[in-house]
Amino acid sequence: MASLVPCPHCGSRPKEEFTVKGAALPRPAPDAGEQVWMDYVYLRDNPRGRYEEFWHHTSGCRRWLVVTRDTATHEIEASRDVAFGTSPEARA
Amino acid sequence: MADFQLVHRPAVHEAFASSAGAVTLQPLPEGRVIQVLGKPAGDDLRQILTEFAGTGPHGLRSAGPGQWFIVGDSPMTHDEFQAMAAKLAQHAFLVDQSHGRVRVGLKGTRIVDVLAKGTGVDLDRVAVGESAMTLVGHISVHLTRLAPDAIELMVLRGFAESLWDDLVRMSREFA
Ligand SMILES: [Zn+2]
Repeated sequence: MASLVPCPHCGSRPKEEFTVKGAALPRPAPDAGEQVWMDYVYLRDNPRGRYEEFWHHTSGCRRWLVVTRDTATHEIEASRDVAFGTSPEARA
Repeated sequence: MADFQLVHRPAVHEAFASSAGAVTLQPLPEGRVIQVLGKPAGDDLRQILTEFAGTGPHGLRSAGPGQWFIVGDSPMTHDEFQAMAAKLAQHAFLVDQSHGRVRVGLKGTRIVDVLAKGTGVDLDRVAVGESAMTLVGHISVHLTRLAPDAIELMVLRGFAESLWDDLVRMSREFA
């Protein structure tokens, strides 16, 4: 795992400040049905390569970020704030 | 009004000073600490909050997007807090943290070397008046640069003594 994670608000910070919450997948509609929700909650791919994950800057600004990481090299490409659609990206 | 008296005890007791001013640790007055939480998708409140920032150095401090702390050495009465909250009601929610967070002052020529042992923030890039939320060791702190040779740490009260002991240990090299 990368040891420094760029935060668009705080800058480069050690990974210990963050909590990782898994793949950044589009959330199904509330009425999408049990099978779709079952897949979304429990069934995950384990891809090799470029990957988007939710990271929470728990011990920093406390914002939820989407971090683009390569699962093979652990290199981090960029991060962006989940809620601020147009917020500037931070690049590693 | 509570029908019993609260006994106030300082969270951290004595100052620590190394020789020749390399590092000085000082518990700061337990005055006011007001957490400001901007309403979602609200405006940048920095301008509006400045008038409430008090007289201390850098009384208004950022704590992430839409979040600030208003700090000062003088305590605030409940009525004063309510008046401030009412004035800011349309912009932000306020939480009185005066008894929940403790401030520690670090001064001296080697304070960056001391803190570098515990935090991942690049302190050379934190300008005077700027703040950062971060960890020192495993303890969450809000850090503010007050002067080139002065940094203030704010920590949850229950962690203050533990952080203090860590800082003293981290400073011993420069004693
Ligand atoms: Zn952050």
